[in-house]
Amino acid sequence: MLRIGVDLIEVARVERLLADHPGAGEEIFSERELAYANRSSRPAERLAGRFAVKEAVLKAFGTGLGQRMRWTEVEVINEPLGRPRVELHGEVARWAERRRVTAVEVSLSHAAGLAVAQAAVQLDG
Amino acid sequence: MTSEATLTAVRQSVVEALGVPADDVRPEATIFGDLAAESIDLLDILFRVERKLGVKIKAADLSEYVQGGIPDEQFGEEGGTVSAVGLAHLKTVMPQIDEAALAGKLQAERVITLFTVQNLADMVTARAGAGVR
Repeated sequence: MLRIGVDLIEVARVERLLADHPGAGEEIFSERELAYANRSSRPAERLAGRFAVKEAVLKAFGTGLGQRMRWTEVEVINEPLGRPRVELHGEVARWAERRRVTAVEVSLSHAAGLAVAQAAVQLDG
Repeated sequence: MTSEATLTAVRQSVVEALGVPADDVRPEATIFGDLAAESIDLLDILFRVERKLGVKIKAADLSEYVQGGIPDEQFGEEGGTVSAVGLAHLKTVMPQIDEAALAGKLQAERVITLFTVQNLADMVTARAGAGVR
């Protein structure tokens, strides 16, 4: 079975959250995600894209942020040529294993102050 | 029992995070339904609650509070509706729900849309009482 999820978010909304709440970045993003964003002149744009991916993946799972799950457990990594992929950790990874998730594919884009992401999840059975 | 001060602080947090009129943030308003909050707004609300009341709640804690630690396979039936066990627990944390009317109909993924401002204030009270600061 194939399931999809999509998310759209304002870059400024993410920027405001991070500015208003020191510590929010570490609660939502992994060290690698923060480091990747901080290499850009527009870190909020990269972080908004990553937040949208996390949301899109959890929507495709149909769980939202479920019991014991952490935002950092859906981690967005860029391959050398820039293509994003996700690594699942902790409770999210255990959920994916229980539901026999065999593949998670994601795509993201930014324009006009918005970030959008789509996730497609393959479940075996 | 949730104090007036806790309810007021939670309501202020919601008003500030969502930028909605204070009159809209009634105790019985559902956060993700009536007030149309999204995941990022919940994060904002919870950080504001922490700053005002010193009670730290992570976004996943809310799911765990609502689901009561009941495993997914016991909380939901085949097909995704909330089980009788799940509904009995929901009634303890969301006393406003009509168990009989929701029996066999409430999809597990819709549960969070029934969570109200008052429910959040009660959760904050419970966490504060448990020494989660």
